[in-house]
Amino acid sequence: MGALYAMIGIGLTIVFGVMRIINLAHGEMVMAGMFAAYLGQKHWGLDPFLSILLWAPVLFLAGVALYRFLLARVLPGGELNTLLYTAGLSLLIANAALLLFSGDYRTLTLGYAIVPLRPFGIAIPVALAIGFALAVAITTALWLFLGRTDLGRAIRATSQNREAAILMGIDVDRVAAVSFGLGTALAGAAGVLLAPSLYLYPTVGELVIVKAFVIVVLGGLGSVPGAVAGGLLLGTVESLGAVYVSSTYKDGLGYVLFLLVLLYRPSGIFGVGRS
Amino acid sequence: MGLIGPNGAGKTTVFNLVTGFVRPSSGEVRLAGESIAGKKPHAIARKGVARTFQIVKPFARLSVKENVTLAAFLRHRSRPEAEDAAGALLERLGLGGRGEKLAMELNLMDQKRLEMARALATGPRVLLLDEPMGGLNPSEVGAASELVEAIRRGGVTVVLVEHVMKAIMRISDRVLVMHHGERIAEGAPADVVKDPAVVEAYFGHGAA
Amino acid sequence: MKGRGALAAGGVALLAAAGLPLVVHNSFVLHLCILVFLWATLGEAWNVLGGFAGQVSFGHAALFGLGAYATAILYLRAEVAPWWGIPLGGLAAAAVSVPTGLVAFRLRGPYFSLATLAVAELMKLVALNWEWATNGPTGFLITSLPPLHLLGLPMDWEAKAPFYLAALAMMGLAMGTVAALSSSRLGAYLVAIRENEDAAEAVGIDTVRAKVVTLALSGFLTGIAGGFYVLYFRYIDPDAVLNLGISMEMVFIAVVGGLGTVLGPLVGALCLTFAGETVRERFGAGHLIFYGLFMMLVIRFLPEGIWGRASKLIDRLSPKEARPGAPRG
Repeated sequence: MGALYAMIGIGLTIVFGVMRIINLAHGEMVMAGMFAAYLGQKHWGLDPFLSILLWAPVLFLAGVALYRFLLARVLPGGELNTLLYTAGLSLLIANAALLLFSGDYRTLTLGYAIVPLRPFGIAIPVALAIGFALAVAITTALWLFLGRTDLGRAIRATSQNREAAILMGIDVDRVAAVSFGLGTALAGAAGVLLAPSLYLYPTVGELVIVKAFVIVVLGGLGSVPGAVAGGLLLGTVESLGAVYVSSTYKDGLGYVLFLLVLLYRPSGIFGVGRS
Repeated sequence: MGLIGPNGAGKTTVFNLVTGFVRPSSGEVRLAGESIAGKKPHAIARKGVARTFQIVKPFARLSVKENVTLAAFLRHRSRPEAEDAAGALLERLGLGGRGEKLAMELNLMDQKRLEMARALATGPRVLLLDEPMGGLNPSEVGAASELVEAIRRGGVTVVLVEHVMKAIMRISDRVLVMHHGERIAEGAPADVVKDPAVVEAYFGHGAA
Repeated sequence: MKGRGALAAGGVALLAAAGLPLVVHNSFVLHLCILVFLWATLGEAWNVLGGFAGQVSFGHAALFGLGAYATAILYLRAEVAPWWGIPLGGLAAAAVSVPTGLVAFRLRGPYFSLATLAVAELMKLVALNWEWATNGPTGFLITSLPPLHLLGLPMDWEAKAPFYLAALAMMGLAMGTVAALSSSRLGAYLVAIRENEDAAEAVGIDTVRAKVVTLALSGFLTGIAGGFYVLYFRYIDPDAVLNLGISMEMVFIAVVGGLGTVLGPLVGALCLTFAGETVRERFGAGHLIFYGLFMMLVIRFLPEGIWGRASKLIDRLSPKEARPGAPRG
């Protein structure tokens, strides 16, 4: 679970790092991924995990389009305005989905995922296991991308110092578009991976976005390794919390942790973000 | 009094400590014998210590007059009184006709005037000016120097952090030099300039 | 519009609005009006903190829910009549907001906003789990309201009119408060804090105290709105009154209408409620889609909000009207 959380967190944190905006619609993008996987299976019989190959690029392009046509005009208005804009976007997408799909809960079932795996005596649902594996793979691929390719380096450079990046000849606008697309794709991919394991409903984005914030702040806004760590941390805290404290309070633990970090170490537990 | 020193010497930090924007981890800060260490900035402002910022911080979307009026509320309870005081200060500092303009519409020199006017509106005993001449051309520097001297004549103690040497040397009664967070010299401008420690701090080893 | 003229105009408008139920008997229309008044109140309450002081809170649902639950608990468990319970609910919300504010205001900008979000979510969890206090997910259901006689007439709690008037009064109170704030010293201080908090501190403004007082005020107004909600809808549970959506709706109404203005939230509430409820009637769900759409349009094209832009236009036009010699009231 933590790895999937991490994926969501990474998407959000990249967008923040490059554009200094907190994308409140991020949760909806995860939702979009979930529904895409669901529809893919329902209408075309696509296996959700394989369908990532289809949906990730689609969501990437959607993200770039969103940036180009909607966000780019609003960015000059300032952080607050952009934040509110993404809030509006999130409501728009979530409610459009509500109108299209109705608020019923849906589930995605996989024929091969009924019996859980039992490594070391711990029961792990198959879907979650595959999801985890793929998430790790994707995160690693992303890490390589950011570290080894020119575009990846451009993204990191822009997120560290926008003006210097411009001076170095980096097309900051293109980087921003790519980053947003990447963030969307990551969120959507995480949604696809999560789809077989959770209930699907159009307003799930609300739940997701709050957790995404917790993760990103835990690890430091703008830091990718921080998001990974944050995701794993939250996933672990929640699982342990569910077992030892009580399953109803596990969400609360995350929030309390979140508040504590905000108050005492705003740059994140790993101190790599900006305060 | 002038406060000088190479970049990074800690001059702005001293200001921040004195005005309460940074808490001291040890030592004391006293105003006329009374300890003000660790107090919040607004409390220190009430005690009569005002400051300007190195990078001006106007209330951008408010009018010039409103900027100063807000500060004047510290000494005048009613709005009409505060506005009158603000108006007078604006005149004194050369911003007379520009009261209704938005703070963000002013040029740099006028914004610095606004910054000073606002600080003065709080009726301070001590005024800390943080590099007021940064970014000004020579004639503006001259105008700013005259402003500072006029403020001093009004009875306010001024502590000036600056890099523009001519101005500081001309208008300071006393100069304190900092380097790497410590005081390395203090005295009349003419003496300080000749102090070998000061020369070394600015020009490097062997220049003395 | 400034000064006495505006006050008089406002008073007249309120009185006129109060007379509406005598003429209009369509229950749906009255219901819509009640909703508009409720959301306008919430928008005004949020505006106090968000528009004037520039502190964007995503957690106001916590205050709303607190007021609602306080009123419900006081009525159902302690038999305190709702007309006392509502103000008490407001006070409870204000009281809780003070320590929360003292802590949260250490944070600035987006960090503050995120913290408010977390606080609200935590409160929802508490409400869901502290069943001994809040009945958990079951919530509270009010089956009957105590009798009340106003001016000798018994109140018919099944009709819309009493609620209409109560909501109108509540909104009037909220707007009055905001109007008073905007011409007060505290209001000016808040704007200074919004523009540049460091500079405000440097000129002697106690920013923490100003922010906390503002939050308490905002909390009180939000709390009484919560109490009203319980009275009108007669049912609350954590999801109805403590969810993120409510916080966001408040933000939207204030922003779409116009931050920092007195009439803005009313305009915002009018647009959004009418659009939203119409969708809800036709489609059953997804009514918030307009909120999202309006929000995006406003931010993109009218960042000061609909009324914000309108009032600027009016200001620009009015000096020309005043010039032909006639003095303005």
